[in-house]
Amino acid sequence: MKIAVLIKTALDTSQLRVRDTVVVEETPLKISDIDRNAVEEAVKLKGQDKAYGVTVLKWGPLQRRIQEAENVLREALAMGLDEAYLVADEKLINASHAATAKAIAAVVKKVGADLVLAGEATVDNYTGQIPPRVAAELGWPVVTYVRELKVEGGKLVARRDLEDHVEVVEVPLPAVVSVTREINQPRIPTLLAIRAAMKKPINKLTLADLGISVEPKVSAAYKPLLMQRKKVVIKDGTPEEKAEKLIQYLKQEGVI
Amino acid sequence: MKTLVVYPSKELLYVASTLGGEVVALVFNEGEAEAIKGKAHRVVVANVDARLPDAVAEAAAKVAQGVDVVLLPSTKNGKTVGGLLAQRIGAELIVDATSLRVEGGALKAERYVFGNKAVATVEVPLPAVATVPPGRFQGEPPAVQTSVEKLQLDTAPKTRIVSVEEKARGAVKLEEAEIIVSVGRGFKKKEDLQMAFELAKVLGGQVGCSRPIAADLKWLPEEHWVGLSGKKVKPKLYLAVGISGQPQHIAGILESRIIAAINNDPSAPIFQNADYGVVEDLYKIVPILINKISKLKGQ
Repeated sequence: MKIAVLIKTALDTSQLRVRDTVVVEETPLKISDIDRNAVEEAVKLKGQDKAYGVTVLKWGPLQRRIQEAENVLREALAMGLDEAYLVADEKLINASHAATAKAIAAVVKKVGADLVLAGEATVDNYTGQIPPRVAAELGWPVVTYVRELKVEGGKLVARRDLEDHVEVVEVPLPAVVSVTREINQPRIPTLLAIRAAMKKPINKLTLADLGISVEPKVSAAYKPLLMQRKKVVIKDGTPEEKAEKLIQYLKQEGVI
Repeated sequence: MKTLVVYPSKELLYVASTLGGEVVALVFNEGEAEAIKGKAHRVVVANVDARLPDAVAEAAAKVAQGVDVVLLPSTKNGKTVGGLLAQRIGAELIVDATSLRVEGGALKAERYVFGNKAVATVEVPLPAVATVPPGRFQGEPPAVQTSVEKLQLDTAPKTRIVSVEEKARGAVKLEEAEIIVSVGRGFKKKEDLQMAFELAKVLGGQVGCSRPIAADLKWLPEEHWVGLSGKKVKPKLYLAVGISGQPQHIAGILESRIIAAINNDPSAPIFQNADYGVVEDLYKIVPILINKISKLKGQ
């Protein structure tokens, strides 16, 4: 089964660069954690066929991000993907979600796939909207929040993890599936696999290569939330004294 | 101005009414239509399975013609429908909007981003789609005259629901809890969690947990899980016991009024995110707290 895996080069939220606003351009990128689960699932399911990664660069500046994205994609290749497609185009930096989905779908149409796998959401924006958008663009069914996936005779059987219940659904291929962290335990690549990944192709594409154009960008400003916690730390005294102190503080706050 | 509400609730209809103009609601059976009569100008009853996002998005796309804003609940199916619909109508989707207003032909919204460490102010052209987290907006939609109409779709959905399994559910409603005692990897075995339940009981609170306790160790059902992919809570007191404070966990507790933490590691990140921290072995201090607080409450 030929599989496309969506890999987001997400902002590393543990290393946000903050001045008056969040300085997106200076914040490092990393693989969006849940995408590792999507890669793992693809490597398990692909069989004799090919599994490839698709990344669209959303965060600028373009030139520096290309290098960072290649490092992220090497990681996914080391986990077992066969090749990767990196769409890097100035017009896609801070682009609308509609434009990002259109670019991803264009790669999938160009390369072909029976299944598109993605993480349930990306760790920076956490909206989970790209998988359904890509499905709409391709005209394929979408199954979101999947924690167990099986392929049986050209059909997918998936367990969806919803708020109050688990729903088992069946869809024909081709389809788009978003997975949760619970679906598997992503492998840690061996040194040998990491070396082998250096030889696997990362194909760079622009919008012109894909033959598409995109709509205007979206305006967004990111203001850091000031954490105004009191950070009082009680570390001296016996456990008895510490407990007493904590209770006094909580009583003063009127919460107990 | 015209707003479409899919999966309407009182809360969503209220938000729609604050945007002004006509409110249209899309529902999937007569019972739901009856329940919101008087709260929307038009109610459209579509003959599709509400549990199938593809089918719901199909129906919503039909009704969305001429609509400026589409509102959905921030449920997993709500967000899925939102993505499908937004792509079909060439609109942006703002997920988990914490504020919404329409101004100068644009939808302006705020939402938490980057692991809830920043607030994004987003401005997108109309038509636009947004999902609203439960309990965020509170108000009553004004009483209006309602007209009800039917929408017949004859497309066969590709997705088939084979079965539905209820998740194990207790009486846990963390989103509504005033006090939460939350447990993490500092607990060495499952039986020891009893201490936390005891402490929660004397405090009159509920028990929450970090990801490993629910997802990896499965010591507690997922309804206890607090964090970015678990529950987002806003108690007056959040007491984290033996929780190191990974960013994904912190993201779920930001709206707590007071955060207190107990951890034996003075460098645990939870202390940077707490109002009151105690560096101590939880096995020593929790029994003392149970004892002292039960005496306090007994007075």
